[in-house]
Amino acid sequence: MAQDAIGTVPDTRSVPLAWRNLVANKRRLIRSSAGIGFAVLLMLVQLGFERGFFDASLGIVRQLDGDLFIMRASKYRFGAEDPFPRRDLDAAQGVAGVASVLPLYASWQGMFWKEPGGDKSYLIQAFAFDPDQRVFLLPEVNDQRGRLKEQDTVLVDRRARPFLGMAGDAKETEINGRTVHIAGSFALGPDFMSNGTVMMSDRTFAGLLTGNRDNPAAPPIEFGVVKVQPGADVGTVQQALAAALPKEVRVLSKPQLIAFERNFQAELSSAGPIFWMGTFVGFIVGMLISYQVIYTDLADQLPQYATLKGMGYETGYLVRVVFEQAALSAIVAYVPAWLLCLLVYYVIGALALLPLHMTLALTLLSLALTLGMCLLAAALAIRRVIAADPAEVF
Amino acid sequence: MDAITPTDPCFPLATEAPVVRAEAVNFSYGEGESRFQVLFDNRIAITPGQLVVMTGPSGSGKTTLLTLIGGLRSLQEGRIEVLGQDLSGLGTRDLVRVRRDIGFIFQMHNLFESLTAYENVKMAVQLASERPAAAIRERAVGMLQRLGLGHRVDHKPHSLSGGQRQRVAIARALANRPKLVLADEPTAALDKDATHNVVNLFKEMTVENGTAILMVTHDHRIIELADRLVHMVDGRIVSDIVLNDALRICEFLKGVEAFKNLTPHELTNVAERMTRRQYMPGEIIIREGEVGEELFLISEGEVEVDREGREVARLGPGDFFGELALMSGNPRNANVIATRPVDTYVLGKDDFDSAIQASASFREQLRRVYFARH
Repeated sequence: MAQDAIGTVPDTRSVPLAWRNLVANKRRLIRSSAGIGFAVLLMLVQLGFERGFFDASLGIVRQLDGDLFIMRASKYRFGAEDPFPRRDLDAAQGVAGVASVLPLYASWQGMFWKEPGGDKSYLIQAFAFDPDQRVFLLPEVNDQRGRLKEQDTVLVDRRARPFLGMAGDAKETEINGRTVHIAGSFALGPDFMSNGTVMMSDRTFAGLLTGNRDNPAAPPIEFGVVKVQPGADVGTVQQALAAALPKEVRVLSKPQLIAFERNFQAELSSAGPIFWMGTFVGFIVGMLISYQVIYTDLADQLPQYATLKGMGYETGYLVRVVFEQAALSAIVAYVPAWLLCLLVYYVIGALALLPLHMTLALTLLSLALTLGMCLLAAALAIRRVIAADPAEVF
Repeated sequence: MDAITPTDPCFPLATEAPVVRAEAVNFSYGEGESRFQVLFDNRIAITPGQLVVMTGPSGSGKTTLLTLIGGLRSLQEGRIEVLGQDLSGLGTRDLVRVRRDIGFIFQMHNLFESLTAYENVKMAVQLASERPAAAIRERAVGMLQRLGLGHRVDHKPHSLSGGQRQRVAIARALANRPKLVLADEPTAALDKDATHNVVNLFKEMTVENGTAILMVTHDHRIIELADRLVHMVDGRIVSDIVLNDALRICEFLKGVEAFKNLTPHELTNVAERMTRRQYMPGEIIIREGEVGEELFLISEGEVEVDREGREVARLGPGDFFGELALMSGNPRNANVIATRPVDTYVLGKDDFDSAIQASASFREQLRRVYFARH
């Protein structure tokens, strides 16, 4: 065998020392990969939760069908009740470049949904609009909004939390003690603030909210949904609107509205920091495990590394080998953890009704964190190799 | 004809520059009050092709001296030149480069458990600067085969015996055919056959490659083959003995007037054919009337030349006798008797003849002596 190999296969590659060291001891590799992989999973789940959380709370914002949105300047988040006067909408109507301004009514604190066939009532999120106009992108809502013209008729979110009973085939229930007809459903899903969503006409909304079915007061307006004229520049119209309207309201583009809500979730609510904390804990756990693995491996092989120095390898080469080994261990642990995470996302997503999706961005971010955590661990352990003294092994 | 070959024990390389030259080397461990000096004024020069064995009790500083010569420690006092490079004042980076040209055999084999025997050796081969890429495997596997490990090339250390692992480490040190090998008890883990094999390889490297080997060992099989034996006690080289006869004769011949004009090559030819012979006082070395078969060269002691019962001359170190009968073919014309213990180097008639044939200047030298004595 060896005789055959001589001269026939020119062997020009350098010895892949880092890889060989990594896979030399299969049992240890599995142990360390399990440890690092666990930390990766922890980070992925936290990051996935964070994204799921944002996706859920941004879900309805993304579904709004408008170019610009008017809301009260003091409103601190999408789901905070802080209405503005109707005259501001009327003023907006006349601004150059504006094609239409539609009121969007919303309630987060005033609508109690009675579980069909049960006796409990739950606070829900409710939106209302003129059923002749389009303010949402949701196709199911637009297909069925004609049915909302009938008084006390609602569309429900069949992906709402199950205890609300919105997914069943019940035809009626009560909202705020008044019987409503369920004319159809759409798929949205709950978020961390609301368990379920109901859509209705402005008239129904006013009646349910004020308790005066036949002659209600005008309900409070949360948003003005603005569409610009074809060919008009959204930014220009936004400036014109801002100039025409009083300081008590402000005008946001759709991306700005999404950023506004995301900013609240990430920085003002405690949710963002909690998930980052979870990710950070995963990072630290992974780094400690990785450090332990690298440190032990270096301790075991210190005479070998010192011998390489004696033979004429520069310290830089050894440092490179250690970092390479750390990076490889990160990748080897990452792949199975990533696969396992898909399963975890599926299971948790189904149980918690959270939109947990593995995305490229999430993959790259978590991979970068994993590499960072292992390389940082290597940096902490590398002193041993740098200090290895070839004179000691002679 | 006069080309100097690397096998030449007198002048192994065209330039006689030593591979190692250490002068006035002192070394201490520790600082301040705990400072402890382990080397005192050591000097040693090792020429190419020499197999030098260093012995001495543990703690005598052998290993420290070895690590200094190998550039594994920074020099404190004195001067060390290795392979033409002055180590004093070299930084860590430059020392690393010097070490690449040295083959180290460590007491512990220190093989990577994760690498096969071949890959462990390759770690050294891939470091050599002038490697033709295609020859890496050939070089590494060839060395393993030479050490009897041809069937273990792709084994990892855990499936090798202790002796096999040590031989892999030796292959790693020798695969680049370094001009200097530094070794610390390299045969400790080897059985008899393996030691034999390794020792032969060492000897072969010194002869064929001109490799100088400096080795700490107490293994008699190596000491027997050593050219020099350096003994250290308490941080000092207390003796430095040349064991190799040819080498010793060379050293001696260089100082003898009659051989002054010989080329190094001729000198070597003569030296290599000489054998050492000792005589006790009163012993007759040459008997008058016998057929002359040998030429004698006195390295130590004194002889008396008697012709017809009368003392005609006394000869001492550096003198030679017996050439007349060899040149003329006549019987011995005198008795030569040792007056003190005498050390001689003896050249047989055939070798004498061929030496004369080969060397005009040697012939000329002898003729002058011949006429001077008549």
